Amino acid sequence: MSSSSTSPPSLNSIGDVNALFQTAKKYEELNVIGTGAYGTVYKARDLHNGGQIVAMKKVKVALTEDGIPLSTLREIALLRQLEAYRHPNIVRLLDVCHGGQSLERDQQLVLFLVFEHVEQDLESYLKRAPGPLSENRIRSMSYDILSGVDFLHSHRIVHRDLKPHNLLVTSSGRVKLADFGLAKTYDTEMKLTSVVVTLWYRPPEVLLGVSYNTAVDVWSSGCVLAQLHTRAPLLAGSCDSEQLHCIFRLIGRPAKHEWPQNVSIVVDSFPDYPPQDLADILPRVHPQALDLIKGMLVFDPAKRLTALDCLEHPYFTDHAPH
Amino acid sequence: MPYWYYDKKDLLNTPSFRDGILNEAENRYRKEGARFIIDTGSKMDLGYNTVATGVVYFHRFYMFHSFRTFPRYITACCCLFLAGKVEETPKKCKDIIKVAKSLLTEQKFGIFGEDPKEEVMTLERILLQTIKFDLQVEHPYGYLLKYAKCLKGDKAKLQKMVQMAWTFVNDSLCTTLCLQWEPEVIAVALMFLAGKLSKFDVVDWNGRIPKHNAWWDMFVEDITMELLEDICHQVLDLYSPQTQQTGSDSPPNQPPAKQPKNEKKPSVTPPTSASPIAVVSKPVLTPIKNGADIKIEPPKVDMRFSYPAYPPLYPPMYNAPPPAIPAPRLPIPPGPPIIPYSEPPPANRFPPVNVPPPNYYAGMPARPLPPRGPIPPGPPPPRPYYPPP
Ligand SMILES: Nc1ncnc2c1ncn2[C@@H]1O[C@H](COP(=O)(O)OP(=O)(O)OP(=O)(O)O)[C@@H](O)[C@H]1O
Repeated sequence: MSSSSTSPPSLNSIGDVNALFQTAKKYEELNVIGTGAYGTVYKARDLHNGGQIVAMKKVKVALTEDGIPLSTLREIALLRQLEAYRHPNIVRLLDVCHGGQSLERDQQLVLFLVFEHVEQDLESYLKRAPGPLSENRIRSMSYDILSGVDFLHSHRIVHRDLKPHNLLVTSSGRVKLADFGLAKTYDTEMKLTSVVVTLWYRPPEVLLGVSYNTAVDVWSSGCVLAQLHTRAPLLAGSCDSEQLHCIFRLIGRPAKHEWPQNVSIVVDSFPDYPPQDLADILPRVHPQALDLIKGMLVFDPAKRLTALDCLEHPYFTDHAPH
Repeated sequence: MPYWYYDKKDLLNTPSFRDGILNEAENRYRKEGARFIIDTGSKMDLGYNTVATGVVYFHRFYMFHSFRTFPRYITACCCLFLAGKVEETPKKCKDIIKVAKSLLTEQKFGIFGEDPKEEVMTLERILLQTIKFDLQVEHPYGYLLKYAKCLKGDKAKLQKMVQMAWTFVNDSLCTTLCLQWEPEVIAVALMFLAGKLSKFDVVDWNGRIPKHNAWWDMFVEDITMELLEDICHQVLDLYSPQTQQTGSDSPPNQPPAKQPKNEKKPSVTPPTSASPIAVVSKPVLTPIKNGADIKIEPPKVDMRFSYPAYPPLYPPMYNAPPPAIPAPRLPIPPGPPIIPYSEPPPANRFPPVNVPPPNYYAGMPARPLPPRGPIPPGPPPPRPYYPPP
């Protein structure tokens, strides 16, 4: 760092800018909770708040010639703004800070997003469940998920990656959405190739590589809702094409006119699967729940229910609490 | 969540004050920094939202740092740079520096050192940390237009009032009002002031109900006349000559540790007239003394003549009249807004002022949304959800 002897001391000469903030001292990392494709989540202690346990997501942001990318700033601004609503089905964002060490060398910034710590995710919750969940529990969790999704959609945020891993379950059994809103930040970054991304909750439009919108989250939620009943994934494909086969075996191969344009795969490359009856796959499930899930797993995104439609479905409205 | 509103006593006991800078001097630094952001922003054709966001960052920044540690013009550049990105009107750092150089004296620009860009870029991270990544800021402009649409009366007079209020909002950026009150409150107060000065008496408004004593009761509940007047005075004080001549031109840059407090206060020198951002010291409005009969009267000078005296204070961008009423060009960027609802919650401070949840989600289908602010335990949630069985 250059510091001229004639001019007043420059900022660069303030040796350790981080010492001004002591971010590192604010949180004490305890252990790794999980490593996703784009970042690691740590369990940490908030030293400024009586040692409260928090979940800290560490995301590396590549710096550009003009500093922190606009898209990242926009996304953080929006996450901060959403937080103002304190939606019950969205994980609380408590703080955002950056680590800042060795920035000049790496041309990257380590961002810390500090969230409330939630006991477990839906994946482990379902794994640990001793038996089938009660009907009320399933309905309440389904409603929580859809409320969270509808909230994001009403703010024009598409989650893109809803799955049991990203759905957190509080000690009182409430579900909260996590890990959203940083899609563009993630996109600019190198993905860790070793991490396998699950395809089970991906809708056909994403697998086919055509444009997508909020309807992707409704599809993913539909898969999760089915899983609440069976505690097993509904569509467990092992690669893109196999995932599509799984989907078409369930909902039937779409008609030619429904097949999107500009797709390299032709519809005829799939056998003409007839649609199955969801009741055969989800036995003993309430007919209204089946009807809802069926409306969520529709091939054409435009014909799929919206999150708000789902919330107004008789499966919920006929069974209002009290 | 970070909290950005301060009491008057907090605003006196700032990091700069604790660092030996007098309040009057700090206020001048704030004013100069804000004005510099406005001038730089308008020279670069940045919109009023971006400029205002930059200024709010600037004021917030100095609630955590001293003007002695961080020179105001560098901070100002950085705030505008960051606001440009956040408001999606990005400007290259080097271009901002170029404009800054053209606006500042050589001596003042000297503070940027040998590598001005690196200086500003380094500060970006400090700025972000300081403002806690709380990047989305709301301003009074949108509220001004929204409120004006509800008022009934002579169109031309209303238009004139809004225009004047708009100007006051611009100028309010040079005060610490954004550190004291929500944009809704500032909008109401400055429209109230403009109404007084332009002799536009609002007697009726859309949505009036019997319990409303004045039009602003519809927008901000329980706002007192004392508060309205206090806010107006803070803006009017900008035009008073007394507030403009304190503080050294730039705070000493040595670390404060070497300088025992109270021993060497910043010297008080009149602003140099060579400064390209020299303030116009000619009072346009008669300052109203606090405690005196607080009736705000129109200035003796005809407003139409006194306003043209402002331009040195008002950058070109602000000479453009505010959007027309009642069909305003909303202060929303063209194209689908990325953030449809920009509504941070008001903080639960000052019990007397309670901003009701506005229904300004125009253009979007009416949908129930959570109330502003922390969801109180009492009231029902926006939509029913199932409690855990
Ligand atoms: N607030 C939180 N409290 C407790 N655990 C959390 C919290 N947020 C995330 N986790 C857990 O941390 C782990 C990793 O989460 P993360 O979101 O980084 O990864 P992911 O979802 O696996 O990856 P990807 O980024 O690819 O979606 C998951 O098991 C998730 O359940």
